[in-house]
Amino acid sequence: MKTWYHSWRAAIRIARRDAWRAKGRSSLVLAMIALPIVGVSAADVTLRSSELSTEQRIERTLGAADAQLSDSGMNGVPILQPPDGEGYTTVEEFENSGPPEGKTDIRKALPAGSTMLSDTEGNAKLRTTHGLLATEVRELKASDPIAKGIMALTQGRFPQKSDEVAATTHFLKESGHKVGAKLTARGFDREYRIVGAYELPSSLKTNQVNFLPGAFLAPYDKVAEKAGQRGGGASTTYLVDTKSSFTWNMVQQANTKGVVVKSRAVLLDPPPKSEVPIYERSGWGSFETSSAGQAAALAAAATVVGLAILEICLLAGPAFAVGARRSRRQLGLVGANGGARSHIRAIVLAGGLVIGVAAAVIGTVLGLLLTLALQSTLEGWMGQRFGSLDIRPLELLGIALLAVFTGVMAALVPAITSSRQSVLASLTGRRGVRKSSRVLPVIGLVAILLGGTIALYGSTKSDQIVLVGAGSGLAELGIIALTPALVGLFGRFGRFLPLSPRLALRDAVRNRGRTAPAVAAVLAAVAGTVAVATYAASDDAKFKAEYHAQLPHGAAYVQVHEGGGRDVPSVRATVAKHLPVAVQADVDRIVVGDTNCSLYSYGKGCGYYEVVVPPAHECPLWKADPANPESTPADKYTKAERRKLSQDWRCKDGGAGAPGENVMVGDGKLLTVLGINDPAAEKALSEGKIVSLDRRYVDSGKAGAGGKVGIRLISDTEAAEKAQQEGKKVPGEIKSFDAYQMPESTKGYGVSLIVAPATVKAAALKTIPLGAYYSTEKMPSSEQAQRLDGQLDKTGAEVNLHIERGYVSRNNIVLLALTIFAGLITIGAAGIATGLAQADAEADLKTLAAVGAPPRVRRTLSGFQCGVVAVMGVVLGSAAGILPAIGLRMAEERQQTKWYQDALDQGYDPGTAPYFPLVLPWETFLLLLIAVPLGAALLAALVTRSRGALARREAT
Amino acid sequence: MSVSTSPQPHEASQKRPVLQLKDLTRVHGSGATEVHALRGINLDVFPGELVAVMGPSGSGKSTLLTIAGGLDMPTSGQVIVEDTDITHANRKKLAALRRRSIGYVFQDYNLIPALTAAENVSLPRELDGVSARKARVEAVAALEEMDLGQLADRFPDEMSGGQQQRVAIARALVGERRLVLADEPTGALDSETGESVLALLRSRCDEGAAGILVTHEPRFAAWADRVVFLRDGAVVDQTVRSQADSLLSGAAAGVSGRDGSGQGANEL
Repeated sequence: MKTWYHSWRAAIRIARRDAWRAKGRSSLVLAMIALPIVGVSAADVTLRSSELSTEQRIERTLGAADAQLSDSGMNGVPILQPPDGEGYTTVEEFENSGPPEGKTDIRKALPAGSTMLSDTEGNAKLRTTHGLLATEVRELKASDPIAKGIMALTQGRFPQKSDEVAATTHFLKESGHKVGAKLTARGFDREYRIVGAYELPSSLKTNQVNFLPGAFLAPYDKVAEKAGQRGGGASTTYLVDTKSSFTWNMVQQANTKGVVVKSRAVLLDPPPKSEVPIYERSGWGSFETSSAGQAAALAAAATVVGLAILEICLLAGPAFAVGARRSRRQLGLVGANGGARSHIRAIVLAGGLVIGVAAAVIGTVLGLLLTLALQSTLEGWMGQRFGSLDIRPLELLGIALLAVFTGVMAALVPAITSSRQSVLASLTGRRGVRKSSRVLPVIGLVAILLGGTIALYGSTKSDQIVLVGAGSGLAELGIIALTPALVGLFGRFGRFLPLSPRLALRDAVRNRGRTAPAVAAVLAAVAGTVAVATYAASDDAKFKAEYHAQLPHGAAYVQVHEGGGRDVPSVRATVAKHLPVAVQADVDRIVVGDTNCSLYSYGKGCGYYEVVVPPAHECPLWKADPANPESTPADKYTKAERRKLSQDWRCKDGGAGAPGENVMVGDGKLLTVLGINDPAAEKALSEGKIVSLDRRYVDSGKAGAGGKVGIRLISDTEAAEKAQQEGKKVPGEIKSFDAYQMPESTKGYGVSLIVAPATVKAAALKTIPLGAYYSTEKMPSSEQAQRLDGQLDKTGAEVNLHIERGYVSRNNIVLLALTIFAGLITIGAAGIATGLAQADAEADLKTLAAVGAPPRVRRTLSGFQCGVVAVMGVVLGSAAGILPAIGLRMAEERQQTKWYQDALDQGYDPGTAPYFPLVLPWETFLLLLIAVPLGAALLAALVTRSRGALARREAT
Repeated sequence: MSVSTSPQPHEASQKRPVLQLKDLTRVHGSGATEVHALRGINLDVFPGELVAVMGPSGSGKSTLLTIAGGLDMPTSGQVIVEDTDITHANRKKLAALRRRSIGYVFQDYNLIPALTAAENVSLPRELDGVSARKARVEAVAALEEMDLGQLADRFPDEMSGGQQQRVAIARALVGERRLVLADEPTGALDSETGESVLALLRSRCDEGAAGILVTHEPRFAAWADRVVFLRDGAVVDQTVRSQADSLLSGAAAGVSGRDGSGQGANEL
């Protein structure tokens, strides 16, 4: 009956009432511990709720249907599929020719007596209140009971007539339409009325419009075809109600007819692996998510949580120490009444326990409430509706226990310290200065040496960045353990200081027990910030040095890669309207085959062109040997030769010959925009010559001279591919042009050849509008660019816009945020330590007042006490933070240099040599080293009363 | 009730002392800062006996009390509490001894502000591992025995100073504890309240407890069976009240303004 937990009950009772009596301090600590718990528990509920059960997933794809059938598109040849119907392959293995193409009639695969609902998806550009919006078109009779659950109606109703539609709420928001409005599509004269709004529970951000089957896509395609344009590109699946379940056997039956099935029954109860033939094919085994990746993510999360707990413990620890110090008399009384050390420890620890439990309860409840209150906002962020609110008690309990753990850990050191105090000293209020532990500095030193060695090895001998990170982390923990000893070193500066700072410094050094955790908290935060800031600043310098401008400073281009080029004129005009344009140079592109083919499209009827590289200008490293097309050409050269060749003009940038947009059809204005002021080039252009910015293409190969450039038109892409594989000449008509080669120093900004429209026309080449290049009168402002982006979005075209601003650092805001974070931690930790020091120094202050010190000494002392902690933490933290950043940079440099050398050895041109400057973020340092301690000191001085209560009683 | 003139009371053969101090010395510091707080003190306290320790500041009264309760260690000599030599006990054993055998009453702030009167009284028992309910029953019983039952659920800041001291005495004697070490328990009280507190202490000793009362007011020392005078760490005189006085004090307990006989002569 005499058991240990009875004494714990008494301890908890005392701690609970004490916590209640010191409401301010308790709520501060409680908030510190509870805040992360709110976040983590809210995240847990959100993530778990957004994970759907199989039933919920089925409802969102199949509705109430038993199965969804879709055409494999392989002409009805038998196929194999996994139970979930995601992916399939043919039964027969087509090695060379590839699988056949063609449609199959899904209805043949239907079991007798089943009903079916077609679900067709396509795309169209619909008119919005702003312009055009590329939208998914879905023809599904959504009001049919089979489709129930796929679309969730939020307003109005689903379409009943062929001129009625419903639209997703996201579409309505994007388009500016409302239920009841009229809706039309581009190039299609039918008018529809929006009668309802719905959402797709698993993809809330989809722009989709729902029509009745046959109401839009078929007639729209017909009209588009007539106009020589592409239609909506429909694909149809069928939702099937079979009256009984669609078994795995039935799925395999359907597979023999080339039909893919997602069956409710099979998804809910998948067949054993042995009954799934596709799993025997290589590459089709059941995939499991990479455990290494998961482990890494888990390790990263654990590190972050661990560091957060450490930081909170370091911050909250001093608060418990204040509490223990304030109730010293009480602890002494417990000792006098037979409380052993363990009982005293229990009382202080119970303080942590009580606040930890309170923080756990409040944090978890707040997290839950927050999730509930913000459910729709969270769903918006996640882009999908929760399946159901999924609260996992065990996980939440685990998260809550983290708070309890944090509280107890924070109270641990104060508990041990106060239990070691002699009862007599506690009762009489004598203040003994305890010698700090001798073990901790040794552990710290060992950790620093070990971590430092690992990091050093990582940064100089290996190129393992992980090693540097782990080593620096270990060393950092070592420095934290060494903090009490380091704080002692600071004491030596005391004698040079005037009274108040000297008193503050001595006091801080003599009471390391309370100074060290606060300094360590500042140290940890500052070290992290300095490390990241140094790393980021260095990275910034690197990126700035490596930055390649895509255009002259302040210039802009806009390109539309879509086939037909219908949107280009309006896009060009939009840009000209919103930017301070000086010169606008319209450019077209050469098209081979169907003009409706988009750039880089290799579809039916689409060809491409290629600029002919004269044989003498081909890079030897890449020049295929016609006699032996399988061999790698670079193998013929030694490493040294490859290195040399990689820097040869013929081989730079990976060699010439990439097909694409490098031939611009434009006039003299384009030269102006690109910053080329060469009358000879303009003259050449107007004389019908091609202006070349890459001498590999001109047969003479000489700068400033003439020559010939050939453009090969390839309309039979399959034949071209085959010829290329066999190392033969690619078939295609070659158009030859007179050329003018620009001097080598001229920058082309990615444009290789410029040819005038008239020249292209004369050569009977087809062109379509591509876009425009602009030079500006002054650098477009960010607002102008944003407005332009918004306007271009509303044209409905996929626009590629670039405004050359030179290198823009994206780090500044992150750095500032980090600095502010570290500053707040510093001020918080220093403030807590100051409060502790003030509580301790009451007697000193009385003595000071008695010997005639003016009242302001109290203020200045508290200011200096705060400043001392901040300065020590910031100085140590900065030193501790720079080193890992340097190590990390060195390791990265080694790694990059290795890759660079490897690339050179292989004969690739790796671009510029790795450049790893070390840049110290002086602004951050200035803020952290001077502004933050000064601010902390001033703040502490400001909030301290000049006059203390004269006879404050010890016990309360 | 010791009445003999020697330090050994006449019942010595029947009763064993609750507290024995043998050749107790205590030296603070060393070398130039050496201070002899106690020099060879011998003292036995028997059940039912209240011993007053008097002396000027710095005479070693408080040191004697802290060493007697195991809060401090003697430089040499022995402290025996209920047959246990505590000079060689470890910290854990000392704490257990304070829970079970020794009760302290200080000048003020005896009670833990976070606990009610009953909880304060039951604290030593709870720390000892007795269940909260049982400890509370004992505590309430102890309080009621001393007519303090109505205070059971009050917090210290809801009680007067005298009430607090009386609760502290109740706590000092809860459970099996039989030794009260009171360090100027009336020092922060007015004289009338002080008398009532001492009357309580006296009555507890009459019930069989042993007590040491450190005081520098002769008025309060008159409640004791014996008065030990200390100066510079040594006993310079001892007086024993007459049995008649003792009987009188028993009958007139709580009456204020009573003179201890022979006080004037005994004062140093």
